[in-house]
Amino acid sequence: MKRMLKTVVAASIALTASVASLTAKADEVNVLMFGMPYTNGLQALAADFEAETGIKANIDVVGQDVFENRITLTFTGGTGDIDVVHTPVIQVQRWIQAGWLQPMTDAVAEMPGAADILAGPLGAYNVNGDQWALPFFAGVGLMSYREDVLEAAGVGVPETWAEMLEIAPKISNDEHAAIALRAVPGQGFNMFIFPMVMRAYGGSFFADYEGGDLTPAINSPENVEALKVYVELINEYGPEGAGNFNFAEVNAAAQNGQIVFAVEGTGIISQIVDPDKSRFAENTGIALPPGGPAGRSPAIGVHGMGIPASAANPDLAAKFIEWAVSAETVSKIALAQSFPDFTTASVAENPDVVAKYAAIHPDFLSTRVAALDLAIGHYRPLIPEWPALGQAIGESVNAAINGLMSPEDALEQAEQDMRDILGL
Amino acid sequence: MGNTLAARRGATYELQQGYRLMMLPAVLAVVLFAIVPLAGMFALAFSDYHLIRGTNWEFGWRNFVRMLSDKRLMNSVYVMAALSVFGVIAQVLIGSAVAVGLQKITGRWRVGRVLFLLPYAVPHVAVALIWLSLFTPTLSPINAFFDLFGVTVPAFLTSQWGAIFAIVVADTWTNFPFAMLIIMAALQGISPDLEEAAAIDGATRVRTFIHITLPLLTPALLMITLFRFIDSLKHFPMIFVMTKGGPGRSTQATNYYAYVQTFQNSNVAYGAAIAVMLFLTAALISYHVAKLNQRVTT
Amino acid sequence: MGRIVLRGVQKDFGADTVIPPLDLEIDEGEFVVFVGPSGCGKSTLLRLIAGLEDVTAGAIDIDGVDATDAAPGKRGLAMVFQSYALYPHLTVAQNIAFPMRMAKLSTAEQTRRIDDAARVLNLTDYLDRRPGQLSGGQRQRVAIGRAIVREPTAFLFDEPLSNLDAALRVGMRLEISELHKRLKTTMVYVTHDQVEAMTMADKIVVLNAGVIEQVGSPLELYNAPRNLFVARFIGSPMMNILEGRAASEHGAAAIGVRPEHLSLSTASGAWAGRVGLSEHLGSDTFVRVTLDDVDEPLTVRAAGERHFNVGDTVHVSPDADKLHRFDESGLRVV
Ligand SMILES: Nc1ncnc2c1ncn2[C@@H]1O[C@H](COP(=O)(O)OP(=O)(O)O)[C@@H](O)[C@H]1O
Ligand SMILES: [Mg+2]
Repeated sequence: MKRMLKTVVAASIALTASVASLTAKADEVNVLMFGMPYTNGLQALAADFEAETGIKANIDVVGQDVFENRITLTFTGGTGDIDVVHTPVIQVQRWIQAGWLQPMTDAVAEMPGAADILAGPLGAYNVNGDQWALPFFAGVGLMSYREDVLEAAGVGVPETWAEMLEIAPKISNDEHAAIALRAVPGQGFNMFIFPMVMRAYGGSFFADYEGGDLTPAINSPENVEALKVYVELINEYGPEGAGNFNFAEVNAAAQNGQIVFAVEGTGIISQIVDPDKSRFAENTGIALPPGGPAGRSPAIGVHGMGIPASAANPDLAAKFIEWAVSAETVSKIALAQSFPDFTTASVAENPDVVAKYAAIHPDFLSTRVAALDLAIGHYRPLIPEWPALGQAIGESVNAAINGLMSPEDALEQAEQDMRDILGL
Repeated sequence: MGNTLAARRGATYELQQGYRLMMLPAVLAVVLFAIVPLAGMFALAFSDYHLIRGTNWEFGWRNFVRMLSDKRLMNSVYVMAALSVFGVIAQVLIGSAVAVGLQKITGRWRVGRVLFLLPYAVPHVAVALIWLSLFTPTLSPINAFFDLFGVTVPAFLTSQWGAIFAIVVADTWTNFPFAMLIIMAALQGISPDLEEAAAIDGATRVRTFIHITLPLLTPALLMITLFRFIDSLKHFPMIFVMTKGGPGRSTQATNYYAYVQTFQNSNVAYGAAIAVMLFLTAALISYHVAKLNQRVTT
Repeated sequence: MGRIVLRGVQKDFGADTVIPPLDLEIDEGEFVVFVGPSGCGKSTLLRLIAGLEDVTAGAIDIDGVDATDAAPGKRGLAMVFQSYALYPHLTVAQNIAFPMRMAKLSTAEQTRRIDDAARVLNLTDYLDRRPGQLSGGQRQRVAIGRAIVREPTAFLFDEPLSNLDAALRVGMRLEISELHKRLKTTMVYVTHDQVEAMTMADKIVVLNAGVIEQVGSPLELYNAPRNLFVARFIGSPMMNILEGRAASEHGAAAIGVRPEHLSLSTASGAWAGRVGLSEHLGSDTFVRVTLDDVDEPLTVRAAGERHFNVGDTVHVSPDADKLHRFDESGLRVV
């Protein structure tokens, strides 16, 4: 029975994946990424890689849901049709656990360029003493605000979420709401933003993450307080319909002048302050996201490139990754795309890059660096179960925002869900 | 002897061979891309294939037993039922109404047929994006319009039934043309003499529709309802784009929940078990409707 | 009851005038047949009477009441379609009951009439069947049954027999005629088959391109066709038409003689010609004779079995009393 089950599963997975693997060739490197400014820019540079190395790079950039489907098939089927894979830091633990990645410790040791990678994002891929991927992207949480509105109201830039709550009623009117925050459920959606409030109030996901005590603690009084703040900001001081906002809606609301504050990742903030994109950009300032009694913890999201365990050409793959995160390649992408989230340190010294982002907003690159300094690597816990936990908690947070549950009940349910997922 | 045999095979034999050959690609495609993956799904459903915990192949019925007490699954089934029932009813009603209307319209307005087909040609993700912005107050021209008169249109996507309504609207918008097409074809198959006979027999237009047209459309109506219902069990793109299953879990239909289990929770086996349940539900409904259809048409 | 009068009725489809203004009276209890070649507007005229088409101009009175704008169901008429137009999802009984259901007759009355109709039409054993399970003749009877139970002021038939095979057609022809005798209700019957017209009609209306060529009893049309069109259309085989010398001898532009009014002789006669093919029907023989100076061969009816060889010379003589004369414009000369 066991043998038969295994065979059938393997056959069905292999069948689907083998269609893709027909394209795998010895002197080519196959790269699978999902769409974002860096990956789109990288795809456009495929010819450069071939010109420099003589190796053909097939760079496939797909939507995120297609991506998840494809890698699950490739990885479980072990078909070896992907040599380089987009590796979000949030997934890396799970993939390592599932045996989907191969370590690239030795390859990285021989890369002179590796020293140029920011230590924080690089370290995020160092698990169990091995290096599993190289980062190319580190998005951090920032805040944008309308200088003209704050000035007119005679208020300053809030340093804490509590100050934000104080200011909010003074700047809400028929023309614009005070703030918009991501509300739709998902570990990459509301659970990218909400932990900033949580951590500001001293909340955390576990009893003692750093000490290794992974007992769920999402129902702590600190977290409940934080959620109440989050809910109040969105419901009382957010625009109509804010309970279903994702980053796209926050972005649009800011660019249309419908909100004063946005707390978002660098990718969105850079668009809100870009005079080419938003007619309010001239009057928009950038600051660190608010903090609280327990300090300030900007969100951080890191993306990198890893090598699947089944990769047919791991050596070519390493070579490709080295080229892809090199200062030269990243500079080109930073100039061609809206991509200030690079993790290759020396790119920040490239005068063209500096000029480009200074033109968008003078404070942009410096505020980003300041936020990166404050960000903790395990902003979202680096454990294989995080995607599941983030999904469940995100659902509860969204339920509280939309009044389906009280914040207390919502986090109580999240606590229970965490226990179920962790098998406690 | 050999001669007569060859003669007997003759033309029909070759024809038969030809027909079988013509079917071969379809048979292969079904076996490769339907039966093998389906078998894989069933096998997974009886395992404990888990990306993090590792895999236990001797799991028996435990995934299915777990389903019985899974509150999130129960919730997803209610959501799915609401989305499917309201959606299918709306699609069939609107599709039929438009089809009947278009059939009666003559002259230049017949161009409307093509117009009404367009929503069906738009990819679901694009449809979802269109309706997401229409239902997002800060983006929606509808809200902007009513704001001019000081009327605030409520935000649909932030309440449980509002979100279900919104998804049903989007789903209906893109899928009613399917119902319309089938009904149009069915109407074409009804002899116009029948309506005239009914008119002479003293039936009003409404009674003609109720007593003659509608019963004759029943097989087609059943068929669309079945097709749309089965398809609606696969609800995903609208939810993924418009609400991500929210508010809370209010629009987390079963197929979406299976996705969460498989891809977020790494529980591939449990996701497969849910998929198996959906598949069996669809198969069961098809079977019963096919039987019903037979009763109606003969 | 059942008197239908058409006054100046015209029908256009778009720019095409299918029926130029036309007057016609159909008397109570009459069996009127519209006959004419296919596409001449017979169905259109019938549908105008039924109310299935709107008149472009003119008026239609039914029993002295202007019914021009009345809905089809309000005209008190019943119609039998060429396709039978039975409701496929209803049983025979339900089909027959349909007009009564629409008229909200009591169930008892409905049952009574259904039973009556079924008995008359030999449908009693089939009342529970669906139309799909019946033969063509049975379907035709159901359609008639559905018409009868309404007790209409007039019946309208549109080529009701053209989907039946020859033997059935003759039988149904008789049945419909008997029905008419029994009910004495006005019947308006459309056909392109002049045999049907001749055998069934009290009054025949010959239509050509939407225009009435002649109205009269079958024998009137047979004996005194008003013009060449009617002369050719009524009678089987077709009347022989001769022009030129043979016609001018009789002081006409064209003369017509029916095959049965020609006699054949090997010795002598009015016109000499050569024998072509013969059709032997047993009771009659139709002989084709090509006259020396005429292109079209004459058809001559000879009683019983007569044998000629192709190419034999024969003489043909018309029955002078039965000769039809027509002037240049094709009108009958008296
Ligand atoms: N609905 C219609 N639209 C346009 N032309 C029509 C329509 N119905 C009939 N006609 C035309 O009118 C003429 C008469 O048709 P019809 O009354 O059906 O002839 P018949 O029954 O004598 O064969 C034909 O030339 C036909 O093409
Ligand atoms: Mg006709």
